[in-house]
Amino acid sequence: MSRSQENEQLLADLKKAILKYAEDQAEKITQKIIEVKIDPLQVMNQTIAEAARELGDKFESGEIFLPHLVMAGDVMERVSELLESTLDAGSIEQMGVKTIVIGTVQSDVHSIGKDIVAMLLKANGFKILDLGVDVPCEDFVRQAKAQAADVIALSSLLTTTMPFQREVIQILEATEERGSYKVLVGGGPVTGGWAEEIRADGYGKDAVEAVDAAKRLTGLRPDGA
Amino acid sequence: MTSFHEILLRSKEGPLVEEKEFDMSLFKKTQELQKKYDLHYDPEKPLDLDGTMADRLFQAGVELYLDQGTYCSTTHRVIRVSEEELFDAIEACPEEIELGEGDDRVRMVHRNVEGDQEPIVVAGIQTAPFSDEEMMFKIYEGCAGDRCIDGIWGGILLKIDGKYEVVAGAPSEIYQYRKTVEVLRKAVAAAGRPGMITINNAPTCSATIAMFDEQRGLRRSDYMESTGMSEMKVAYDDLNRSAFALAHGVPIHGTHSSVIGGFSGNPEGAAITAVAASLGLVTVHRAICFRCGTVDARIKSRVTRKQLWVAGTAIQALSRSTRLIVDGTIGDHPAAGPGTKQYLYESAAGHIVSTVMGAHSTEGTRKFVVGNTCNYGTPLESRWMGEVCKTAVGLDRRAADRIVRYLLDKYENSLNNAPAGETYEKLYDMKTNAPLPHYQKLYDEVRKELKNQGLPLS
Repeated sequence: MSRSQENEQLLADLKKAILKYAEDQAEKITQKIIEVKIDPLQVMNQTIAEAARELGDKFESGEIFLPHLVMAGDVMERVSELLESTLDAGSIEQMGVKTIVIGTVQSDVHSIGKDIVAMLLKANGFKILDLGVDVPCEDFVRQAKAQAADVIALSSLLTTTMPFQREVIQILEATEERGSYKVLVGGGPVTGGWAEEIRADGYGKDAVEAVDAAKRLTGLRPDGA
Repeated sequence: MTSFHEILLRSKEGPLVEEKEFDMSLFKKTQELQKKYDLHYDPEKPLDLDGTMADRLFQAGVELYLDQGTYCSTTHRVIRVSEEELFDAIEACPEEIELGEGDDRVRMVHRNVEGDQEPIVVAGIQTAPFSDEEMMFKIYEGCAGDRCIDGIWGGILLKIDGKYEVVAGAPSEIYQYRKTVEVLRKAVAAAGRPGMITINNAPTCSATIAMFDEQRGLRRSDYMESTGMSEMKVAYDDLNRSAFALAHGVPIHGTHSSVIGGFSGNPEGAAITAVAASLGLVTVHRAICFRCGTVDARIKSRVTRKQLWVAGTAIQALSRSTRLIVDGTIGDHPAAGPGTKQYLYESAAGHIVSTVMGAHSTEGTRKFVVGNTCNYGTPLESRWMGEVCKTAVGLDRRAADRIVRYLLDKYENSLNNAPAGETYEKLYDMKTNAPLPHYQKLYDEVRKELKNQGLPLS
């Protein structure tokens, strides 16, 4: 087997380990990948992106469930950490890992939809800070700053909590930080028209659309390439 | 029976657990229990016809609840009860309660599978936005006029004085929900049914409490909703509602939805969680009637084939193994909107399963919310809910299964691109408050179709 074939096999094995949620196995393969000096960018943008796409498809078709996304997300997070540990700050920047602060807005305790979006985003290579439910507007802004986030994702499941999505945007405008973050909105009653009205940057009708929107907003193509 | 205060103490002193750990543990346990109790979802069999699997499901639900408990998301503690405490709580629940007042009072009793006990139907366009008082009054007056329904769920007036926004947790929420319930009470009185059950539930506890007022708002003879968070969780805001209801003497109606594709995993897991969470509503929320529901993480309808099986089998499990008062309302939240045949097909499938499996239907009618679309429903969907629930009494599971299969064939492939339907203004004559001819014709056609399929409509 040539070096190139061996490398391809390693990447294929890594993808398989991610799809089997085998963290220990993925960790060992990643160590090997680091040893043989495969470009981490290739691992992130090809292998992990392909695995994420497959996971998303399987979730949509009902083949796997939210806990599987959680497990796969954990594996991919560990792989990314290992890859990043070999790089300097400039190279990490080049890897283009984007950070998203996500949560369900104030006075709203619906979590499942937000959890699914968070897990699919994580599985698609985004670094996720999930603030949970009933999150005060100021917390989204504060945490986005603290994490140097790229996107603030706001879920609302009630018509009476949708105004909090707008309030987060208003805080960003008032503090002249609107340009620092993209704002993505979603949730049962939320529509594209509402997103436009409150000057959000993106809207996802469902989890898959939310991931595509996040990729568009962060300069990645919807297919993850 | 373990006191409410003991439950609150456990919410502060129970095991401290990370939410993710609780969620993943739910998945692991539901997967184990479905093997142990030999539970299988077969897409070819949307309804469990003989009840033996439902009996095993009840045992699995009990085991899951005793093992997993209820997660308090406010304190991050797990509230657990012993087997003895659980069965004491079940035993302490009444087999019948009375709701409403005067001539409009109804008895809501434990229903058997295929039972002849009358299902209580609380219709109305649940929690939906309305454009103005006049429109809300008109729609609810129309709903209340139908004798086949026993109560009305309220919605929310979208703007105060047509201008000011209503925001959850803000004073506007308290003001507007209170205003809404006053309109609701006036509407049922105008329909000649002043004692009819009226229900509403605001996003926050304080606004919900503000709706209670014997003269102009919700009464002790209505019920207080205490919602369990998906999956198998509770927040103090919900327990605050329970505390108020217990102190004020209001019956507590609990509600919870397991999630197919969520931490329960597959339909079998979601069915186990549906039963276990119902037991949590009784022990932790102190519910004396409760909705045993399920949602699908991917599809905005409550009547997919999987959901009918999950909710139907879970209701059957609770009906056969306990004397609890179970609410099903599987037919709310169709994918299709009002004014379409698909809405009526979806609604009928769910309500037939609820009724035949041993449940009431008290959670209103509504399409899944779409933005701030106001007046998104009419009295005719409430009538349909009432007609279907009341006439499905006496059907056996095989007859229900035949009709449900017929209905699934009609809508199953259109759930992801369901017709949006129309608002009241496009479906009703605003002056007479009666359906426009095209809508009445559509309704009559579907009615005739279902009658031909064996639903004993008059």
